[in-house]
Amino acid sequence: MALLTEDHSAAGFPRSHQVDPIPVAIRTRPPLDPEAVGRFAATDPPRGLDVARLKRVGGILRDRRLQFFLILPNQIIFWLVIAIGIVGTVVPGLNFATAITWYLWFCLVFVMMVVVGRAWCAMCPFGGFGEWVQRRTFFKRTTKSLGLGLKMPERVAQYGFLLSVGAFLVLTWIEEFFNIAGPGNPMATSFMVLGIVGTALVFFLTFERRTFCRYVCPLSALIGTVGAMGSVAGFRTRDRAVCLSCETKDCMRGDAEGFGCPWYTWPGSADSNAACGLCTECYKACPSDNIGLYLQPPLTSVVAPSRRRADVAWSVALLFGLVLYQQVNALGAFVSLDNWLNVHLHFPQYPNPVDYVGIIAAVAVALAAIGRLFSATFARRDLVLAPGGTSFVERTSKFRGYFVPLMYGIIPVVGADYFARQLPKFLRYVPRVPVSIGHLFGFGSTSSRLYHASLIASNAGIIAVQDLVIALGTAAAMWASWRIAGRDLAPLSRRPLAARIAATTLAGALGVVVAVLYVWMNAAN
Amino acid sequence: MTITETERVGTGRHVTVLVDRCAGCQECVIRCPAGALSMEPASWTARVDDALCVGCRQCVRTCPFSAIVVEGPLAVATRVDPPVRHPVELHANVTETRQGYATWEEAIAEANRCLACPDPTCVRGCPAHNDIPAFVAAVRDHDLETAHAILRRTTVLPDVCSRVCNQAAQCEGSCTWSLAGGEPVAIGRLERFIADQAVIPAPVVAESTTALSVGVVGSGPAAIGAAYELLAGGARVTVYERDDRPGGLLVWGIPDFTLPDQVARRPWDDLVAAGVDLRLATSVEPGDLDQLLEAHDALVMAHGAGQALRLTVPGADLDGVGTATAFLQGAKAALDPGGDPAAFCASLGVAPGRGRRVLVLGAGNTAMDVARLARRLGLEATCVDWLDERFALARPDELAEARSEGVDVRFSRTLTSLEGFDGRVVRALLSHTTQRDRASTPVVSPDGLDVLAVDLVVMAMGYRVEEGLRARVPQTPIVKRHRGFAPGRWSASGILANPASPVCFAQPVGALALDREVGLWEAAMPRRERLWAAGDALTGPSTVVEAMAQGRRAARAILDARPSREGRGRDAEAPAPRVLVAYASASGTTARLAEVVGDELRRAGATVSVLPVERVDALALAQADALVLGSWVEGLVVARVRAARAMRDFVDGLPWLGGRPVALFCTYGVNPRTAPAELAHQVEARGGTVVASTAFGAGDRAEDARIRPTKPEAFAHRVAAQVFAPRARAVVG
Repeated sequence: MALLTEDHSAAGFPRSHQVDPIPVAIRTRPPLDPEAVGRFAATDPPRGLDVARLKRVGGILRDRRLQFFLILPNQIIFWLVIAIGIVGTVVPGLNFATAITWYLWFCLVFVMMVVVGRAWCAMCPFGGFGEWVQRRTFFKRTTKSLGLGLKMPERVAQYGFLLSVGAFLVLTWIEEFFNIAGPGNPMATSFMVLGIVGTALVFFLTFERRTFCRYVCPLSALIGTVGAMGSVAGFRTRDRAVCLSCETKDCMRGDAEGFGCPWYTWPGSADSNAACGLCTECYKACPSDNIGLYLQPPLTSVVAPSRRRADVAWSVALLFGLVLYQQVNALGAFVSLDNWLNVHLHFPQYPNPVDYVGIIAAVAVALAAIGRLFSATFARRDLVLAPGGTSFVERTSKFRGYFVPLMYGIIPVVGADYFARQLPKFLRYVPRVPVSIGHLFGFGSTSSRLYHASLIASNAGIIAVQDLVIALGTAAAMWASWRIAGRDLAPLSRRPLAARIAATTLAGALGVVVAVLYVWMNAAN
Repeated sequence: MTITETERVGTGRHVTVLVDRCAGCQECVIRCPAGALSMEPASWTARVDDALCVGCRQCVRTCPFSAIVVEGPLAVATRVDPPVRHPVELHANVTETRQGYATWEEAIAEANRCLACPDPTCVRGCPAHNDIPAFVAAVRDHDLETAHAILRRTTVLPDVCSRVCNQAAQCEGSCTWSLAGGEPVAIGRLERFIADQAVIPAPVVAESTTALSVGVVGSGPAAIGAAYELLAGGARVTVYERDDRPGGLLVWGIPDFTLPDQVARRPWDDLVAAGVDLRLATSVEPGDLDQLLEAHDALVMAHGAGQALRLTVPGADLDGVGTATAFLQGAKAALDPGGDPAAFCASLGVAPGRGRRVLVLGAGNTAMDVARLARRLGLEATCVDWLDERFALARPDELAEARSEGVDVRFSRTLTSLEGFDGRVVRALLSHTTQRDRASTPVVSPDGLDVLAVDLVVMAMGYRVEEGLRARVPQTPIVKRHRGFAPGRWSASGILANPASPVCFAQPVGALALDREVGLWEAAMPRRERLWAAGDALTGPSTVVEAMAQGRRAARAILDARPSREGRGRDAEAPAPRVLVAYASASGTTARLAEVVGDELRRAGATVSVLPVERVDALALAQADALVLGSWVEGLVVARVRAARAMRDFVDGLPWLGGRPVALFCTYGVNPRTAPAELAHQVEARGGTVVASTAFGAGDRAEDARIRPTKPEAFAHRVAAQVFAPRARAVVG
């Protein structure tokens, strides 16, 4: 308790001789008035959707043990995955490690990110474990941390989510190369999870806060971009004027009640849910009870942000490239191409890194070319953009003026595509999860009826579900593109309506391509 | 590489905003003293104009996400420092060695170095919280009257403090330039310039109908601070001083070459002229306190810490081994006009002359004073201290001056033993020590032993509060250490960032300043009923400015509380009793009950503040005449059932309550078991007097109960009866 200071004074005894004439001589300049800028109004979630106002919810959020209890079950499961993957049966469908990881978890993570946002980050055992070690506690507010506490060098940090995308691409290639996920390799799954835990731990002990989660975690960019569709806006300010006039910024620095934001996010300026890890620390730390946990209509964080980020746009393009690769690789033509490359490049097996990187890059470049085409076709002749900085995320150009909003608009297609891509495994094999759990206790085997059961067995059924998901995603993307283009592209364009129609058409066309690919894939895993 | 780059201008300074981490919170923008930072509306990040940047690095220290990097030199003029006066003839020369600014030009040139920081760290670094940027600006404006008025709000000893303060560890150490690794503004010298250029304003004496009578024990800086404040509040002040001269440490402990006599005498000349009843040669013994409390409405114990620490090494009882107190008093008298230095030396058993060496144990400011006085008596002087020189306790300029006067100062040495001949000390054996960091205790290294021929040994390792009085003032001396998390405003100011300056001599100025706050706020809390302590009596040996500030704080607490002794009628100006209701609530039930209790107490006539425990600060505590603590009960029906952890932590962190009435209530679901009793025990351990204690179950919480008064209301009535009882007695009496 910091009782012996004059700070946070809220006591109201009048006429006191004890009030210092110069308690602390703060004569700071007033902050820039947000109303004058008006930039946050469109991104603020509806005031009434603050679930932290509910007494019970508020009490739970204030409890320091909340995140520990969210992480703990996952922590147990993932250490079990590591152990059972190594010592358990080699039958993937019977091994708890492969069954839980590839048939259920991956799909659940996608559901959570589409519905909530960074819900997984709040309960992630990888970051959670690293954070426990770094903070030297499970849930208490501690002062001294373990490790070097370095900051991510700006040379890297300026690329935002792109390092995370790179990690995701590398991990996916490894997963494909060792065939870890489909139908599953228990021991390799263990080593992969162990590798992620180990890497996370190294980063947590080297850098401060959640640098790993913000910049490196393979899932961070995916959740950060696709999660923008989610209906949880995250922890946001209740009254921006209070945040701006706050002289302590405990939500960022931390105080006795909570740590400073581990994600480098300030609720006072957050305009999307992309970098809110839902860890509740800012809510606990705020001395003015001015932070709420807000819900928002779906797609708000896709459509509303006024500070559009180039790293998010390029992440979307690359992630779309990856998921398209994973669709294309189920086609016969790709198999021939991969084999041909392997023979000529003396590479042992699928996936050949050249076509892997080539296809992903080609998709990203194609999307960039579309952005360039948009700027060349629609940009006003007299368009002069405000000068940006020199960093990657700050630069401005006509190309970016079109490319970045367009990529935000197709987020729902990309999200739907990732989800649909997981569906065959989920629909076919998820009944094996209880079997694999039973197997741990001596019952449940490949002869179990449940082992051979499926939620949907037929390829046609699976394709129908996949294309339904894509149709929903495409519709959402078209709506989002129409809104985004109306706000962001129209002012730049000499033919605003045509630009909006073209942006919307782009989203629709990508959806059609993806849907057709699913038909051609014929429900391959 | 990055980021928000403007063209590097000719200054060589370059500021980089790491935009990926910049959250647009504007902490840097509102604190930049040069206006070099502004907001970029499109990206909502900070942007910088390198041409305006002065390189002070406040933005670096205050950014919550460390998103700013400043490169390049500081844009600040060379500090204007008058040269130290080196006496041509040291012997018997007590002329002041440090000089103030001689001209306005010098002072204004130095004042112009001040950045007038919007969130000035120097103000936090000053123990009295002087409004430094404001008085420096007044100097710049050539306005002495305003400068004095600004100083008078927070200090009554500008002439003294500007001479004796260790500014390098306080205001100047916390100066932005210092924290950035440069030379700080000469705040002490500017304060001295103000004090020397015009007469210090006389004490303000308020006309008052009050009969508040306050006794002050001691006449050092704490007593001076208290007396000024009490006079300004309309109280009658009686001061009891053991010596025949007022001033305490200022008079006998600080040599004239640092603090001239006329400066040290000035406060008491003014106070006596203003009506303070100064009773010299009046020793207050521990047994006299009760009698004094009968004679006065309140007592301020400001008797200082006058018991010198003695080293218990072999030979410590030899002739020629003494304490700093005796040496300082004797030497000062001997060097005063009309004194006889030779006779004093003879009384010590040493004759002045070449080769007569005084070994001074310690190398703090007192030790420096002893050694420098010894030099003025014609003796050789060697100071030894077991601390590493990097962590020396003496002010750096004092150390430099002592060395320039020929004092041999040896750090990393400790006295192992003293050897004598014919019962008189002749030789000292000194072991070498090593010290890893500031917080660690030096350790004696096995190799290295100095043998020093000595004629006199003076122990100047420090003082402690005299045992007799200490025993009558509960919970003193306090531990002046801030525990827990630094308050947000302190972190936000950037003062707690590691200083880059060698001027800070390896001291964490911010942490030290925060620790000093503990002393300041503890001074506002009574140690027992109607008795406050301040200065060294409260904290153990400390500094003049801290003692003065604590004395003022204690006096203001007395003026706030308006205590009255038995038999005196109630003070006409006495406010309604103030009750602080502090609660720890999980679901809101305890908070609602706290409000119910608070409302009832308001109806009874008390001034009430109802706060959750995490919002209770020192001011609220110091102002409260009584506390009501309400807590929910945690645990599982029978296991670990006790008051909530937040409440237990709160009570543990309370300053000494000095017998204040405290009422307790717990709210429970099934059974409170021993929670109220355990909490009461905890409160009593912090010096509180538990006047009521109860627990409210589910049935007691009904807000629309048909029975009036409800149980919480009845509890409030009981509390009110206890809170008002002493006052009622006083009125009747």
